[in-house]
Amino acid sequence: MSTGKRLSGVLADLALILYFVFALFPIAWMVILSLKPADQLFSTYFSFSPTLDGYRTVLGDSEGIPFVRFFVNSLVVSVGAVALSLVVGLPAAYASARWRFRGSENLMFTLLSFRFAPELTVIIPLFVLYQKLGLFDTYVGMVWVLQLVTLPLIVWIMRSYFADLTPELEQAALLDGYTRRQAFFRVALPLVKPGVAAVSLLAFIFAWNNFVFPLILTSNEAQTVTVGALSFLGGDRPKYNLTAAAALVSVVPPLLLALTIQRYLVRGLSFGAVKS
Amino acid sequence: MTELELRDLRKTYRARGRPAVEAVRGLDLALRSGELLGLLGPSGCGKSTTLRMIAGLETVTGGDILVAGSSLVGRPAQQRNIGVAFENYALYPPLTVAGNLAFGLRARGRAARKDVERKVADIAERVGLTGLLDARPAGLSSGQKQRVSLARALIREPDVLLLDEPLSHLDAAQRDTTRRELKRIQKDLGHTTILVTHDQEEALSLADRIAVMKDGVIQQLGTPYEIYDSPANLFVADFVGEPPINLLPGVADGEGHARLSDAARIALPVPVAAGREVVVGIRPEDLCLSPEGLSARVVAHEPLLESGIATLALGGIERPLVVLTGPETRLAHDERVHVTADAQLTHVFDAETGDALR
Repeated sequence: MSTGKRLSGVLADLALILYFVFALFPIAWMVILSLKPADQLFSTYFSFSPTLDGYRTVLGDSEGIPFVRFFVNSLVVSVGAVALSLVVGLPAAYASARWRFRGSENLMFTLLSFRFAPELTVIIPLFVLYQKLGLFDTYVGMVWVLQLVTLPLIVWIMRSYFADLTPELEQAALLDGYTRRQAFFRVALPLVKPGVAAVSLLAFIFAWNNFVFPLILTSNEAQTVTVGALSFLGGDRPKYNLTAAAALVSVVPPLLLALTIQRYLVRGLSFGAVKS
Repeated sequence: MTELELRDLRKTYRARGRPAVEAVRGLDLALRSGELLGLLGPSGCGKSTTLRMIAGLETVTGGDILVAGSSLVGRPAQQRNIGVAFENYALYPPLTVAGNLAFGLRARGRAARKDVERKVADIAERVGLTGLLDARPAGLSSGQKQRVSLARALIREPDVLLLDEPLSHLDAAQRDTTRRELKRIQKDLGHTTILVTHDQEEALSLADRIAVMKDGVIQQLGTPYEIYDSPANLFVADFVGEPPINLLPGVADGEGHARLSDAARIALPVPVAAGREVVVGIRPEDLCLSPEGLSARVVAHEPLLESGIATLALGGIERPLVVLTGPETRLAHDERVHVTADAQLTHVFDAETGDALR
């Protein structure tokens, strides 16, 4: 290897390291913060006596903040939102990929518009409606409102997956005597499994990370971690170490999920781009 | 075995804000039991639409489709018992060859496992796939995929078999063997078959009869020889034949000849009234170089192994004349030659309508 090549390799590595430091620093800072005891929070940067007390407090439900319940709420609400979106969205995506019917494009555009309209524009009427309908601070209410986040994503991404499948596969099944429903479930759906995995993960992360809806539409019973983690900042003294610990704990589910379906994820995200 | 009949079959596509498109305009066809009919035409002529209507993948605008005397129109594809070998094979990638073949048998309730295995083994042997049953589609050659696709269409013992461009994705060597295999299998099993293709060679070599289609209308229906030897109109003459037929515009002189230019006259096979504008068609293989006849200049000569193709310029005629030459012929650029045509092998068409004059 020539010196020129070696030098450029070193430079590239250096640039990567710089980027990693830049990208990982906030996370590292959170980890450090979460391990600090309360009395050393503002006194030092790096020299402190590390303790897991912050995590114990957060997970032990002391301080009067039921963080574990928020965590379970997040799981229930996010999984529920993705599941409902899959049940409704997969057939919708399939139908819109296979048939153009009156208003089909308008329908698809309406779905998409949910994503680019800021959530704040609908939140106040929603708040009033939820109060009146008894959906305020309930699982059903949260799963429902999160459809604004997860459904467009699932329908639009899965639509392009279905569109990439050659229709002859299902037609061959129809000729063999399978019904449309069977052709969908036994031919089309198994072939887009990697896509379903990838898009479910994305939808789950978006639902999990959503902040505005739980902030306005829940108070306690159905509150999620994104809003819940902030409760540690209230009171007489902001407890940054507890917020940091809570935030780190709440990263775990999306991370675990991403790692378990990584195999599908790479295939899934690149699948739609190239026709086989 | 069963007959297939199409009666005044029509398909019109209507979309809001766009003019209606008549893809198929009144098709009448009757296939004898076990017959292989080739539906030949350029892309967009309605041949694939016709095939999809028979299969039940496309709705019918008008007319009727009868299999063994009973109408299929209105019945969904699931209830028609039609086998289709799709152009892109449409094999199910996660399943093995055996799995793909068995998939269709499992559609109507639970088929007995022994029965399925026996049928798969049986069809695999007939189509020549026995050694490949455990392979997956991705690992097969195009010719093998085509055979799997054919076997899958055949395994349910369909009343009618439809083949959509079965050879178009194969390379030359595979095309020859697959064509031979296809013909043997179709004759062995005796299915009434429609072959849709834009490739004249495929149609000529495989079909018992050929229907040449253009713009949703059948131009001519006949045996490959009839289509080739006596084309019904200019379109059929031009579409079938390789290299394509020479078409030369001229005027009939009323004495059994057509005047192509001031210098060139050519004998006609039938008497045509003087002054009528005609197009004379002569296939390259029906022209021969000789010591006398029409005088021409050699523009190019492509010697091939078993024959050669000479492109000639006739005095006063714009279009080049293509002549098939023997393997021994040697021609130089700009050389002067003479060509003659046998009047009995010459075709003449009305210049206005394009119909053959007989």
